[in-house]
Amino acid sequence: MESSSSPSNDPAPPKTNSSRDKMRHFPQEIQEAFRTFEATRNPDALDPVILAILDDFIPKKTEVPLATFPGSTRLIEDLGFDSLAITEVVFFSEELLNISIGNEELMQVRTLDDLRGFIRKKVSPAPAA
Amino acid sequence: MVRLPVITGIGFVTSIGHDRSTVVSSLRELRHGFERHQFLNNPDLPVKVAGTLKGFSFPSPSWRDWSWPTQFSVDRELLRGLPPHGVYAMCAMQQALQEAGLKAADLAGGDTGLFCASAGSPYLLSHFVRDMYATRGQRGNPMGIISSIAGTLNFNLAAFYKISGAVCGFVSACASSSHALGYAMDEIRLGRQKRMLVVGAEDMTDESILSFASLRALSINPDPGSASRPFDRRRDGFVGTGGAVALVVEEAGLARDRGARIQAELVGWGQAGDGHSVAASHPEGAGLREAMWRTLADGGVEPGDVDYVNAHATSTPAGDRSEALALNAVFTRNHARPKVSSTKALTGHGLSLAGAMEAAFCVLALDEGFIPGCAHLEQIDPICEGLDLPLESLNEAPSLVLNNSSGFGGSNVCHLLRKAG
Repeated sequence: MESSSSPSNDPAPPKTNSSRDKMRHFPQEIQEAFRTFEATRNPDALDPVILAILDDFIPKKTEVPLATFPGSTRLIEDLGFDSLAITEVVFFSEELLNISIGNEELMQVRTLDDLRGFIRKKVSPAPAA
Repeated sequence: MVRLPVITGIGFVTSIGHDRSTVVSSLRELRHGFERHQFLNNPDLPVKVAGTLKGFSFPSPSWRDWSWPTQFSVDRELLRGLPPHGVYAMCAMQQALQEAGLKAADLAGGDTGLFCASAGSPYLLSHFVRDMYATRGQRGNPMGIISSIAGTLNFNLAAFYKISGAVCGFVSACASSSHALGYAMDEIRLGRQKRMLVVGAEDMTDESILSFASLRALSINPDPGSASRPFDRRRDGFVGTGGAVALVVEEAGLARDRGARIQAELVGWGQAGDGHSVAASHPEGAGLREAMWRTLADGGVEPGDVDYVNAHATSTPAGDRSEALALNAVFTRNHARPKVSSTKALTGHGLSLAGAMEAAFCVLALDEGFIPGCAHLEQIDPICEGLDLPLESLNEAPSLVLNNSSGFGGSNVCHLLRKAG
């Protein structure tokens, strides 16, 4: 039997993965919501996507769905995010939405509502391609 | 007060098995862990064999795509910062702790330390750096460094097991985890720690292994059944492997007080440099010879007391030659004839993992009462004249065994292990 190599060997210049590829481990309805956002640029469609990203990187799963938490829920104190998990959410969102999030901006984001509002603001003006 | 370090638990993720009994039967029956392997998806490369880790898969740098045998569990919170060899290490640790009768909670509190060895993950590091180039430094995976640099094992395992004793990583290439075990013995002997966890691991990826082809160090023999043949006249290089081995080392008194079964005693170690070359071993094995003498002196024994030597021999023409000369200088010239074999004929060369893996094989030999034979050895190199190289594994219980390791820059480390008394 011939075992296969890791596919890490593409000699072509590095490319970041497509958004479809980045979303492939999310539930179908989340992928659908993201496609709606891509087609319409309507930030409302992003709300379930943001929650799904948080749910994906949260260090310890919550007992009830994140969508049931009030907007004032704090990411660190209430949901148990640590600074590393937050940087992972930021990195993933930057890549997916083609935005850049600065450290100072990040310091202002403490709650679910902060995060939703912040990402909405970031994607509202059509991002530079 | 003399404090004796003993081994109470070992765990394996190796090309020849992922549990104690499979590893023992592979060693007894000389069953190798090699498969044909296509590196870099390039059928034209002459290197065609690797020591593979069955049931593990790391098809992309994203941990979401990784899988491992179902008998192991790897915490999702931990995965985000792990390299592939960190997954192996977690699986090996679970076995070692279970053998030692320890729970994760027993490891906190400062009496337990953790020494690790790996070369990091060139696989993940290369992806991290490529992304950095692609975004011109504007974005990067936050876990990129943690999961890829040398030290990643101790970062991850120390945090996961809440180790508040000594925590350190060792980097001396193929002697790395032998250094980790030697210094772990010292921590116990000096009374600084009561228990040490020692983990050696390496990725089994193109990036970790094929890189050695540029040094012309890898075998280009395409036959998995003979590519790794230490001490054979026709040997042409090593076969690479990865995996992880974990050892629980404890002060004998602590082990006895808590009713743990002692598998072997660690009675000596020593090291010496070649002072010769960045990569090649000393042509007469000067550093390894001295390291063996220092180890025997540390254990207070004579060459004639040693029953078995687990040689470093990786199946390279020059390295095996140096070791054969060093072994003859220490043993044959002093009328001692321990059995000698290199288990790399079965596993392949585990690089930073090798020393800990082979120390654990020595524990098995002492604890289960056998001597691993020299697999794939058909035409003994005349340089080995004087050495006792058994072609089959022997049902002979050794009492005292020596484990040899050598790394780049001429770093030579040996351990002396004794049957639990």
